[in-house]
Amino acid sequence: MIKPLTRWLTRGAQSEIHADYLRRHRLRDWGVGIARAAILILFVAGWEVSARQGWIDPFLFSSPTRVWELFLEMTAKGELFHHIGITVSETVLGFILGTAAGTALATLIWASPFLSRVLDPYLVILNSLPKVALGPLFIVTIGAGFGSILAMGVAITVIITTLVMYNSFQGVDPDYLRLARAFGANRFQLFSRIIFPASIPDLIAALKVNVGLSWVGVIVGEFLVSKNGLGYLIIYGFQVFNLTLVMMSLLIVAVLATLMYDMVSRMEKRLLRHRNT
Amino acid sequence: MDTYAIEADSVTKVYLNRQDEVHALKPISFRIHPGEFVSLVGPSGCGKSTVLSLMAGLIRPSSGCLRIFGKEVTAPSNRVSYMLQQDCLLDWRTVEDNITLGLEFRGRKNRQTSHDARQLLELLGLRHTLKLFPSQLSGGMRQRVALVRTLAVEPDLLLLDEPFSAVDYQTKLHLEKLLTDGLKIREMTALLVTHDLEEALSLSDRILVMGGQPGEIRRTLEVPEELRSADPLTARGMPSFRPLFNELWKEMESHDKTVD
Repeated sequence: MIKPLTRWLTRGAQSEIHADYLRRHRLRDWGVGIARAAILILFVAGWEVSARQGWIDPFLFSSPTRVWELFLEMTAKGELFHHIGITVSETVLGFILGTAAGTALATLIWASPFLSRVLDPYLVILNSLPKVALGPLFIVTIGAGFGSILAMGVAITVIITTLVMYNSFQGVDPDYLRLARAFGANRFQLFSRIIFPASIPDLIAALKVNVGLSWVGVIVGEFLVSKNGLGYLIIYGFQVFNLTLVMMSLLIVAVLATLMYDMVSRMEKRLLRHRNT
Repeated sequence: MDTYAIEADSVTKVYLNRQDEVHALKPISFRIHPGEFVSLVGPSGCGKSTVLSLMAGLIRPSSGCLRIFGKEVTAPSNRVSYMLQQDCLLDWRTVEDNITLGLEFRGRKNRQTSHDARQLLELLGLRHTLKLFPSQLSGGMRQRVALVRTLAVEPDLLLLDEPFSAVDYQTKLHLEKLLTDGLKIREMTALLVTHDLEEALSLSDRILVMGGQPGEIRRTLEVPEELRSADPLTARGMPSFRPLFNELWKEMESHDKTVD
């Protein structure tokens, strides 16, 4: 019984020591995978059992079966996808616009050192300001709807992106700039051929942070104004004390946010495959 | 009328900051003929690299006049190419796109010049690296690619800022040989900044010894014909090499207590 298992664990081995090495590493990989799954199973099972045994109040904390039943019910009616669609589009748009606007602003202040010095204190203030506090302002100017929520998603990402990207532009090795200038590069060429491409790793780092931030902006935005979206479902569920709805929406947000982060990670691997770390 | 490749006439440089002004160069004057190979040696902080940056048009002299092929330097010149200690290859571009960077910036990249650059790469034994990225190359190969990029713009004057000080000894000798061979064929003028006295002696026709702070030219040493015509490795082994090396060494020590 042990033999086939050992053979499978040491598949592709070049020698005795290599086989030993492979066996140890593959066993460790298995251990990690099993531990991960165990945590998830224990959590879900613990939650379910606690709710059934009355150790926790199922009215407040719901239970996995109730969440699952609600999920099937709302999926069947189709309304769930409507809410997911709205929140996802707000988040994706918010984080793309926020990152793009931040990079554009960083480019602008890179191009003008004067402007950079003038704007410096304002950027510091805006960066320190909790952006969600701007919510009421967006609602009165843009109106209670998609626009305000999008604005929130953008507001929360744009300033930090500007600061990160400007720093990245400034941090490009001066020898590269000397070389390019000695070759007669003008400022546009300097930026487009050297500085911007050299800053792409930092741009991707900013994207990764912004995925999380734009979810914060959009969910808070939906708390404040919306009649649609996952943030609305959470706040509505809370108001009518349907905590099953809250839990389900929370789980969906967790899954979607993870998927978005994963997509950015894949893009990172593709874009940076030729670079040294 | 004879036009010099480089003509420096009482050139000075003062760096200014809020606290202070730093005099990097006393008035220096020298002339370099077309086709000459001249080295600038001296301890760090004596203004060698400042001289090179002035030639490259990256900074302006504070006073005096600096001419390259009879034309006053006001901006980076199209006849000049500049090579640094660091290879500065762009990680996100293939070797093929790295070697044409200078041509691109000068608006001279076309089918013909790209082809010439590729031929140069082949000449330096790097044909197989054309589609590779810099991260896939060894340090010596990277510096050779940088050399191709430097030469691809077909300069008349080559400015070299310690280009071989970061590679191992064997690669250094190899690159020196490639460089001197290339220079002879193309009749390029070269100004090399180095603190490697052996390198200066084995490559140059003339050596300018700099020293002091602010820097000045303390001495000019003509390298004898037999060393000039020999290739860099052979020159290092010649009987006349050691005495000159010692003389240069003493020259640098006599003026400066600290030599690094």
